[in-house]
Amino acid sequence: MKFLSIILIAVVISSCSMFKQPVPVVPKFPNATPDLMKKCENLKQIEGDKVSIGDMLKVIVTNYTLYYECSTKVDGWQDWYNEQKKIYESIKK
Amino acid sequence: MWIFTILSEFIVHCIFLGGILLTLFGFVLSFIPFIGKYRIPLQILGLLTLVFGAFLEGGLADNKEWELKVKEVEAQVAKVETQSAEKNIEIQEKIVTKTKVLKEKGDEVIKYIDREVVKKEEVIKYIENCPVPQDIIDAHNAAATLNNAVKDKK
Repeated sequence: MKFLSIILIAVVISSCSMFKQPVPVVPKFPNATPDLMKKCENLKQIEGDKVSIGDMLKVIVTNYTLYYECSTKVDGWQDWYNEQKKIYESIKK
Repeated sequence: MWIFTILSEFIVHCIFLGGILLTLFGFVLSFIPFIGKYRIPLQILGLLTLVFGAFLEGGLADNKEWELKVKEVEAQVAKVETQSAEKNIEIQEKIVTKTKVLKEKGDEVIKYIDREVVKKEEVIKYIENCPVPQDIIDAHNAAATLNNAVKDKK
């Protein structure tokens, strides 16, 4: 009877471990925010033959603004990646 | 475990219980004349059924645990997806606000140039006497279109 119970326990345990399968649930890849998906604008060029220093300055200012807008997007992407990574890793494996 | 798609939980329990009963009849109650006659086949059948039943019980327990785990992970994934969407909204708001401020500040500087800088006597004189040389404009434009050079390389 002792022998029989040992065999039974072994069979139960073997069945428990024989059919281990991965959990078929995968989180959906997160969408990026719409503004992050917009491409950075090209920098403006100075146009015209006789250009005053004032006009040139305005183009330069516009380009600085465009640069900072684009850098905001890059910061946004870094934020997005770090936050989504943190969230994804919070799922217990 | 595929077998549980065709065998219900109840049948698994029945097989296991049947195995126990058959083994009992085969080993313990063999002194009863009717059972004693079929002792050996009963013992073999009982043991086989019991072992198969025990195997299925183990599988069933494992399957239940697995289903529980699936539900747990599904709940976690749903929670994580909500968190992710919330974070996206937060990031989007941050970008929109920053971009808006940048645009406003840029416009302010341009307005300041039109309103103040260009009207200063010193600047007016400079503008009248010194138009920006074409070479400087070309150099600026070349720098502003550096990305085109990268595009051409692709």
